[in-house]
Amino acid sequence: MRRRASDNEYLHRDFHGALSTGLEYLHRRYGAAAVREYLRQFTAAFYAPLSREIGRRGLAAIRDHYRKVYETEGGRLSASLTDHELTMTVPYSPAVRHLRRRGYPVARLFVETIRTVNETLCEGTPFEFELVKYDPKTGSSVQRFYRRKQ
Amino acid sequence: MIPCTDFIPAYSELFKFLEKKGGRKAVEDFWNYLSDNFLTNLRDLVRKHGLLGCWLYWSRALNEEAADFTMKLDEKKQVFSIVMHKCPSKGRLLKCRHIKPYPDYCRHCDVLYRRILEPMGFEYLADFSGCDRARCRLTLRRLTSHVSRLTRS
Repeated sequence: MRRRASDNEYLHRDFHGALSTGLEYLHRRYGAAAVREYLRQFTAAFYAPLSREIGRRGLAAIRDHYRKVYETEGGRLSASLTDHELTMTVPYSPAVRHLRRRGYPVARLFVETIRTVNETLCEGTPFEFELVKYDPKTGSSVQRFYRRKQ
Repeated sequence: MIPCTDFIPAYSELFKFLEKKGGRKAVEDFWNYLSDNFLTNLRDLVRKHGLLGCWLYWSRALNEEAADFTMKLDEKKQVFSIVMHKCPSKGRLLKCRHIKPYPDYCRHCDVLYRRILEPMGFEYLADFSGCDRARCRLTLRRLTSHVSRLTRS
């Protein structure tokens, strides 16, 4: 079998399983704080360009990022945006759906891939994040970003 | 949500995080854990189909990862090989200018798969000398001593 990169789309959903396994490992071995600390470090490093874009373009940068993420993963996202607030409603998480379908365990702190990641994205920007609702069974969520009070 | 397309940098950063926590041993411990607890599908496929199980496992994984590779299976000679012309994972890390990949990133593959396949009676030969160009090579050969042991049992 010979394949070139251009023969396929890059979308290996089992990676969600490896991430979930990694988070659960960190939790068991090093505690809940380590899971958050790791996700914070990862986000601050890898999503640094996105955080800078949030500083420049505001909440539209977050909306555009997540629109692309959910579209790529075959999920759905509805977003309501003003200058001061962005509310995103996600009926199910494509990651959690894949984990459940394949029978992979969902890490107890899988929710932190939303909460800690989004809180960290907002660091150094004029915005803050609040996870309004989250259902661990489906990963459905309501996520709110808003302008920090001066 | 962290999309699966961002998993590789997340993984590389996890290795760095673990190394800071407990040195190389902490990273190795995690790789062993992942092999034992996450790659059960590879183990099951090989148990059921022999070397064909490797073909089935990597056919799905490497196509979904949009890898640039050549994979061969010779069932008569009981040899399976993958020549990775461009590894999508390492390729992504090398392309990503704003984060530094975990220096020993590629070795996780060696640990994860060797740990499963050697005890199942395969010779596991891996060449990571092209790692810095996202290239590697894997050859698996059924050990005859293991075949005769299986035949006897």
